[in-house]
Amino acid sequence: MTDAAIPMKRTSLLQPDARTKSRNAAEARFRAYGFVAVLVALLALAALLVSILGNGMSAFRQTALTIQVELPEATLDKSGIRDPEVMKKVTTIGYGKILTKAVDAAIADAGIKIEDLSGKEVAKFLSGEAAAQLRDRVLANPDLIGRTVEIEVLVNGRIDGYYKGRVSAESALLDSNVSPAQLKLADALKESGMLRTKFNMAFVTAPDASDQRPEAAGLGVAVLGSLYMMIIVLVLSLPIGVATAVYLEEFAPRNRMSDLIEVNISNLAAVPSIVFGILGLAAFINFAGLPQSAPIVGGLVLTLMTLPRIIIPARAALKAVPPSIRDAALGVGASKMQSVFHHVLPLAAPGILTGMIIGLAQALGETAPLLLIGMVAFVRDYPDLPLDGFFDPATALPVQIYNWTQRADPAFVERASGAIIVLLVFLVVMNGLAILLRRRFERRW
Amino acid sequence: MNDMSRPSEVAETTDVKMSAQNVDVYYGDNHAIKDVSVDIADRTVTAFIGPSGCGKSTFLRCLNRMNDTIDICRVEGSIQLDGEDIYDKRVDPVQLRAKVGMVFQKPNPFPKSIYDNVAYGPRIHGLTRNRAELDEVVEKALRRAALWGEVKDRLSAPGTGLSGGQQQRLCIARAVATAPEVLLMDEPCSALDPIATAQVEELIDELRTNFSVVIVTHSMQQAARVSQRTAFFHLGDLVEFGETGQIFTNPQDPRTESYITGRIG
Repeated sequence: MTDAAIPMKRTSLLQPDARTKSRNAAEARFRAYGFVAVLVALLALAALLVSILGNGMSAFRQTALTIQVELPEATLDKSGIRDPEVMKKVTTIGYGKILTKAVDAAIADAGIKIEDLSGKEVAKFLSGEAAAQLRDRVLANPDLIGRTVEIEVLVNGRIDGYYKGRVSAESALLDSNVSPAQLKLADALKESGMLRTKFNMAFVTAPDASDQRPEAAGLGVAVLGSLYMMIIVLVLSLPIGVATAVYLEEFAPRNRMSDLIEVNISNLAAVPSIVFGILGLAAFINFAGLPQSAPIVGGLVLTLMTLPRIIIPARAALKAVPPSIRDAALGVGASKMQSVFHHVLPLAAPGILTGMIIGLAQALGETAPLLLIGMVAFVRDYPDLPLDGFFDPATALPVQIYNWTQRADPAFVERASGAIIVLLVFLVVMNGLAILLRRRFERRW
Repeated sequence: MNDMSRPSEVAETTDVKMSAQNVDVYYGDNHAIKDVSVDIADRTVTAFIGPSGCGKSTFLRCLNRMNDTIDICRVEGSIQLDGEDIYDKRVDPVQLRAKVGMVFQKPNPFPKSIYDNVAYGPRIHGLTRNRAELDEVVEKALRRAALWGEVKDRLSAPGTGLSGGQQQRLCIARAVATAPEVLLMDEPCSALDPIATAQVEELIDELRTNFSVVIVTHSMQQAARVSQRTAFFHLGDLVEFGETGQIFTNPQDPRTESYITGRIG
């Protein structure tokens, strides 16, 4: 430390030297990169949201026609005994004819006159689902027969698309499913107040519908299926995952065996999810004989997939608890188990919870393994309530989205985007719940 | 902190509370403690001094088997508490630690309320039958640790919100609440300012009336102030062990003399 070691040079503090300048420039550049990165991410998010909301919000609105329908006993219940079993012989075709007649009458009553509107076009103005809606209603309440009731029925998806900007008079000319005359009829009915576009609760509650009836397709079965699977995943993976993490982190001896287990868990977290689907197919369906397309199998597969993704953050959270807390507990004579369950685990809980929610969110959005265990099937029947419902066929939200994007009718683009919105809402609710729970938990300490 | 407050430097009893004979400790291949024999007298403050890394903390942790938590640590020789070998297969370390309490270098209160911190030991050991008794134990422990006056109005406040000195006294209260027979203190004042240090030292002197206290310290002045007997460790060896007054005024070993006069360490 002699003065000769560093030659002294007089510099002014008011004049930054070259080195300082280049250091400051480097920092400024780094900040700019970071800012740009955040900006790009935000723009991407905004683009995603705008695209999904733009395409999907219309799925929550649906056009329906309100008409008076006369329900003649002669066609619907010849026997006159109002026995639903007998009445079931009348198919939707029979109800379809009644509906067509009712629409004709409504057109006449309103004094609407449209040239070159054929009878077939009037019949196809309504959704194929409309007759089924009417039939379900009559079968549920046979006393309606012989009376004239007011009913709200779905109209054809193209007519609905007309009010959502998908269909225009020009495109209708080229479209075999819709004619300009039908659009004129729609405008006239709208004028008279019979045709209305309103909030579409059925989108979230109704089951899926076939390719020809996008207007009737809903997410009900998929929402239930996803909910059931999440229940199974939560109930199985939370205790197993946390217990594994606690055992490995706090109790297991450090040896070759525990190293092997650790490496395997890390590897499992990186295994593509479709591989878990194959495992589920082989183990749960082919070997154990569980039913296909059932939430129980989906839940088990997703549990296997989620476990390593829960164990790893849980171990990290346990590791982050300062060892002084363990010492303190042992020092006053707590047993190992008491020190873990009274002190270490509560301190690690927020971290474990976060890992848990992230794992669940991933499981909720997982599609690939579910395709392999048959959850991609077209399911129109709601599963029962748990526990029986766990074994009934169902689909899942992401699979339903995948399914809808495969279909030809452009109305399904709107449905798929709407389903993505529902999925996102689910995820936001789950994350919000996680944050809420964390806050509550942390306040106690 | 003047020398007038120095307690008597002569051990008042000669009853042996803990006795370590020919103790060797290994961390893997590292021989950390070499053939150490120490008798800890009842109701006496025994200080372990020595340079960093000399093994005094390691030896202290052997006395309540805290080293059990370290996988690679191996202890040989015999350590007895009231004539019973604490490394006997039949001894449950949890029961031992209830009798031999410990206060650590860094204050480590649980992230719970002050009350719960102190009540934790009595609760898990089932020392009290009802809430009133527990309240009493907590108050007594906090009074012993000279903390009652400062915290009696905010027992439900978190223990981690106290100042460093208060936290350490809270840890001491927590340790004495389980009514141990021996209290081990691993550099309890190293994170404290002089005022808090003085409070803790005063406290140690008071605790001597009920417990045997073993204290590891870096500060020779502290050892001289609070202890009746002192052991000097160097590189894993017990160099000298005797009455504190004698160690500091008339050391027998040249290494002890070098250390206390500041030439090594």
